[in-house]
Amino acid sequence: MLAELINPYYLQVGSFMLINIILGISMYITLSTGQLSLANAGFMGIGAYTSALLTIHFSLPIPVGVVIGAIFAGLLGIVVGLPTLRLKGVFLAIVTLGFGEVIRVIFVNWESLTKGSVGLSGIPHMGRELLKTVKELGFEPKMLGLQNNQFIFMAIFLILLVIVIFVIWFFKRQNDSRIGRAFSAIKLDEQAAESMGINITYYKVLAFAQGALLSGFAGALFAHMLGYISPADFAYHKAIDILIFAVLGGSEVIWGPAFGAFFLTLLPEVLRFISEYRYMIYGVIIVVMMVVRPQGLIDLNVVKWIKRKTTRRGLKNGTGN
Amino acid sequence: MSIFKKFMQFSAVSSMLLLAACGGGGDETASGTEGQADGGSGVVSADIGVISYNSGPGAAYGEAITNGLKLAQEEINAKGEVNINLKIEDSAGEQDQALTAAQKLINSENVTAIIGPTLSTEMNVVGPEADLSGVPIMGTSTTAEGIPQLGEYVFRNSIPEALAIPASLKKAIEAYDVKKVAILYGNDDVLTKSGFDTMKATAEEMGLEILTIETFQKGQSDYNAQLTKIKSLNPDLILASALYNEGAVIMDQARKMGIDVPFVGGNGFNSPEVINIAGDAANGLIVATPWFGEKEDPKVQDFVAKYTEKFGKAPDQFAAQSYDGLYIFAEALKNAGDSDRDAFRDALAEISNFEGILGNFSFDEEGDVVMEPTVLTIKDGKFQEFNE
Amino acid sequence: MLIEQLINGITLGSIYAIVALGFTLVFGVLGIVNMGHGEIFMFGAFIGVLVTTTFGLPLWLAFLAAIIVTAFMGYLLERFALRPLRNHQGSNHLAPLISTIGVSIFLENLSHHLFGPGNHPFRTPFAEMSIEIGSVTVYLVQIVIFVISLILMAALSFWLGKTKAGKALRAVAENLETASLLGVDTKKYITLTVILASAMGGIAGILVGMAFNAVTPQMGLSMGLKGLAIIILGGMGNVKGAMVGGLILGLAETFIVVYGDSGYRDAIAFIAIIVILLVRPQGLFGQKTSDVRR
Repeated sequence: MLAELINPYYLQVGSFMLINIILGISMYITLSTGQLSLANAGFMGIGAYTSALLTIHFSLPIPVGVVIGAIFAGLLGIVVGLPTLRLKGVFLAIVTLGFGEVIRVIFVNWESLTKGSVGLSGIPHMGRELLKTVKELGFEPKMLGLQNNQFIFMAIFLILLVIVIFVIWFFKRQNDSRIGRAFSAIKLDEQAAESMGINITYYKVLAFAQGALLSGFAGALFAHMLGYISPADFAYHKAIDILIFAVLGGSEVIWGPAFGAFFLTLLPEVLRFISEYRYMIYGVIIVVMMVVRPQGLIDLNVVKWIKRKTTRRGLKNGTGN
Repeated sequence: MSIFKKFMQFSAVSSMLLLAACGGGGDETASGTEGQADGGSGVVSADIGVISYNSGPGAAYGEAITNGLKLAQEEINAKGEVNINLKIEDSAGEQDQALTAAQKLINSENVTAIIGPTLSTEMNVVGPEADLSGVPIMGTSTTAEGIPQLGEYVFRNSIPEALAIPASLKKAIEAYDVKKVAILYGNDDVLTKSGFDTMKATAEEMGLEILTIETFQKGQSDYNAQLTKIKSLNPDLILASALYNEGAVIMDQARKMGIDVPFVGGNGFNSPEVINIAGDAANGLIVATPWFGEKEDPKVQDFVAKYTEKFGKAPDQFAAQSYDGLYIFAEALKNAGDSDRDAFRDALAEISNFEGILGNFSFDEEGDVVMEPTVLTIKDGKFQEFNE
Repeated sequence: MLIEQLINGITLGSIYAIVALGFTLVFGVLGIVNMGHGEIFMFGAFIGVLVTTTFGLPLWLAFLAAIIVTAFMGYLLERFALRPLRNHQGSNHLAPLISTIGVSIFLENLSHHLFGPGNHPFRTPFAEMSIEIGSVTVYLVQIVIFVISLILMAALSFWLGKTKAGKALRAVAENLETASLLGVDTKKYITLTVILASAMGGIAGILVGMAFNAVTPQMGLSMGLKGLAIIILGGMGNVKGAMVGGLILGLAETFIVVYGDSGYRDAIAFIAIIVILLVRPQGLFGQKTSDVRR
């Protein structure tokens, strides 16, 4: 029963979806202070390469590598963020775009470390390592009636699901805290926020670094899911992919980019013929969204509407039970 | 907080429903193909998955590959010994999409074996996965180093750079008395970078003096700076690891500048398009290839005629390699007598002295190619066999 | 070799400068970074290929066709991706940037489907003409490119500074609402600006096609990003800055190949903008305004 239900293909798509949701949220956090960063693909690469190199060369356990990768990306976010956040929106976008490209060029050229454009292969695979560990503990996937690859992909999917739930929970809480209020005050009007005594540099750098950390985190997970990375994975087009999650889904509430990532990962799988025209469609989506609904599909009103619907349904269910 | 919980419940339920619905669909197709395989009377039927680069900047490669496969499939099925059903998936040249395509083919479509993916980068991701699932996979265009070594189920029928470059370089050295070379390569592409690594190693091995190593990047259209530098060093030969698009432009700019030494290129440089783009400037390019469309072999000429008639353009190396690839699969399928993945893998590994349009072909023990490439040069505006 | 490399650098730099002029004009008047400019430039190059190589028509017709087509594309871009955003009151200042990113990826992929991913040669007898000066070969195209870039810069400076239309444009740039109160037809002048900038992109496209004999759908992105870097280097909205910035970048990219590592060639532009924005955010020729800094 369980074994028939678990198809690695759907789990794989689901796992990419979850990683993309993390990336979408990383975009959202920086945007929640009104800053557009296009360096997230670069930070993703930093996280991916850091974790991959550490686990390959120093045989660190994957979770340690992922955490160090994410932290390193976050630290770099602070280093880059401090000077660049003096710049206004459009300039920040261009500098971060340039920064992302510089990172990619470094990956390509630093051959002794990154093997250049050939890419890093043989990165420890999250699911396979886990399988090895549980087998050593005497557990066989067959006990659950699963094949090895079913187990691997279910494990990856579940791990990512837990991570994504945690990330969403964390940033939901942050949003409702003082930090979140400071972020939205800055987004609304920087000067007013400053005059209210909010340390805008601190909060902007914080948001930028959080975005970088989260991108790096997603990148590290990506590396251990594919087992192979190359500089081309973190190029300009990846930055656009991440941007469009937030543009389509919306950047007012955290559900926006999460929905954008969910929908846009699913779309080419469900409608294969779209895949050929994917970027053309993306281009049109971006323009249309900016014209018709710049806040994205999911804004506060939609969330309120869903909330009302679900509570009503919840009440109905409640009486039924 | 309660909203959050509710939303999670809602999304969890909906994703479960989604998985269940999709899972059901997958099972149906799976049982369908099994029935087909068993029900045949003496004819071995099999689903072969194809992962190919059908959209995006490299879509031309994918198009040639799928065209070659379709032509081969038609002919093979018409013969009636085996019946091959192709399931073509697009990877858009990206690893993650190639991997999901592979998962779909392996787990939902239950294919016997896979042809593709197109790029070595994609194979680096897909190969280990197919190997783990016990699905034989063969690249028809993956020429980078280390591909068949990914696993026991990973094969290729495209000649690696390690075979092609030494062959062409050796002939060029003999013909032109080469002592000093300059190398120019695209450093942000796997194929050209891997080709460069082989070039450098080969040149050092043959005792050539490497004057300079220059790089270029994708999307660049101005190579004058690199070429001017190379020109001032006066090499006897230029080793250029470039895809034909960039390679042709490089030759054009070099000839305009007055560089008239021969060029030796890698696998990616070998295409009739070079002549279309660069015109007379393409003269003097030397490449080693398994595929030569002008060969006076009736099999080759037959293929060229049929392909041209069906698709309206002459086949290139990618089409020829995938065409031969499917024939190799058909042969293995016939020998295995069954669409079982393991039986097929063993039969595939046994293939040797297969006579295809590319010539005499065998697998070595790792699943790599054993084959004698033909060295070609462009002379008077067309590809000719190099024998000077 | 040094002189040849100098010529290479100036040629490349002049092309960068023409591309950057398009960026700088739009930014100067509208305060918008038009990310679609690189792709319009690429379309200009493809129109050139179609006219000269595919249909075998003369070169002047190619220039005419490219100017018309890219100008029309500029109109469409303004009409559908920029004008509706202006009507949103208080809309996000990032909206035009994001919307033109959409235009750019749409156009890039459209050209993949229209023209195919490959490289298209640009055949015109004019591209083959050269003169020998001592041991150095100079192609006529290289001289033409340099001269055209100078002419465009001078014409643009004159037009903006001395003519009535230019004064109106500067009024629009200063303050949209005041300009329209003063009786300037702002809609007309904004559209005119984008059309003009796009047409310059089209000219640059043909020049690149002739100089390097290479036209691909990907060229728009790399050229667009370079153009972007140049206007920041030279000063946003500054015509002279775009010219000088373009030449600096062209020479820098050429000489890193000569004396350094050609692998880092693509990074120079971005390292330059990062440095300049940190050290002198208004650019080499820009005036200090409150607009650039936070």
